[in-house]
Amino acid sequence: MEGQSYARMPRVKIRELRDDYARFELRDTDASIANALRRVMIAEVPTIAIDLVEIEVNSSVLNDEFIAHRLGLIPLTSDRAMSMRFSRDCDACDGDGQCEFCSVEFHLMAVCRNDETQDVTSSDLISSDHTVVPVDYSESAASIDASDGISGNKKGGITIVKLRKGQEVKLRAIARKGIGKDHAKWSPAATVTFMYEPEIHINEDLMESLTLEEKKEWVESSPTPVFEIDQVTQQVMVVDAEAYTYDDEVIKKAEAMGKPGLVEINAKQDSFIFTVETTGAIKASQLLLNAIEILKQKLDAVRLSEDTVEADDQFGELGAHMRGG
Amino acid sequence: MNAPDRYERFVVPEGTKKVSYERDTKIINAASFTIEREEHTIGNIIRMQLHRDENVLFAGYKLPHPLQYKIIVRIHTTSQSSPMQAYNQAINDLDRELDHLKNAFEAEMVKFSRDY
Ligand SMILES: [Zn+2]
Repeated sequence: MEGQSYARMPRVKIRELRDDYARFELRDTDASIANALRRVMIAEVPTIAIDLVEIEVNSSVLNDEFIAHRLGLIPLTSDRAMSMRFSRDCDACDGDGQCEFCSVEFHLMAVCRNDETQDVTSSDLISSDHTVVPVDYSESAASIDASDGISGNKKGGITIVKLRKGQEVKLRAIARKGIGKDHAKWSPAATVTFMYEPEIHINEDLMESLTLEEKKEWVESSPTPVFEIDQVTQQVMVVDAEAYTYDDEVIKKAEAMGKPGLVEINAKQDSFIFTVETTGAIKASQLLLNAIEILKQKLDAVRLSEDTVEADDQFGELGAHMRGG
Repeated sequence: MNAPDRYERFVVPEGTKKVSYERDTKIINAASFTIEREEHTIGNIIRMQLHRDENVLFAGYKLPHPLQYKIIVRIHTTSQSSPMQAYNQAINDLDRELDHLKNAFEAEMVKFSRDY
């Protein structure tokens, strides 16, 4: 019964890895897998985000809905999300969506008592669960401060609203597990892209028939720095193949110069270069691992079950009956 | 006000089966699988995996309409296999590939943190 396996064995090579950023090569697979991973990372890996807001006092300049929307968009640390329940399938709270298995409660209280404008930020949110808190950007903000002198918010939080003297905001918020397909506020991805790895072959014989001036002109026709001329040998070399954006400019230029076939550029169909950047809700490496897990769960859900086979048997019987069997 | 709930795009309604299939009445070893609440992500990987199976003569999928949240996968095989067998094997092979990818990435993470 078990036929031979047509499964592939993809290879991965990490080029760069930070908490919220990853760049890696994926080889020995096809575009359908690369694209499925990209789509799942953007729209189907769960995170936690504020989904219900009860406002008690709001005398700020922003209306209640405006504040509720801004609260929803604040990234929350979501390592718990994979093991949490969706409120809609939670039986512990009966669709209420407010129990510990499917939600986290937040409180926000801010009053401005000074003449100076007061910023109400994500760091003013008090969480009922110390593992689910607004993402802290103060470390990365501090490094930006040091490097180019751009001063951000002193507390490092995301500004929700600004208050003047006497204004007040007091609210309770419920954060729930969700996915980007439902609302973009639940997407853990800031950027997920992949490109095909280009293979560039220069026809050396044809290239040597060009004068140095012509070579320079041709190299400069590329909008991105893909080629360079070696100072010593005056040969055209590929310095950064991945800078090529598949714009065809150098190919058109070669044709215009009467040298078609000067360069041949192919996209390797089984190699991809991924760039993954997260909102900080989960780590970039975890985003890929969670995407693999979610994709496996999705595949498992579409397996033919005993149920489907039975339905077919009935149909088969009916078919046999109709054929007079 | 009368907008459908957003979760209708990905939650299978009660009483509806996630997967069902219908054999082709005219062609032997051909069938159409209807997968509820799935789209290109699943449809395209299953189709491409089926293309790797030498007993599969045809495999394709379609999203009939953007507001009908289902896909249809059509498979035609040789007499050496059946659409159901090919469908199951495609899923098993994809599952194995993803297991391998997970292990490869985890091993690479360990290697990366050690080397850099
Ligand atoms: Zn609950």
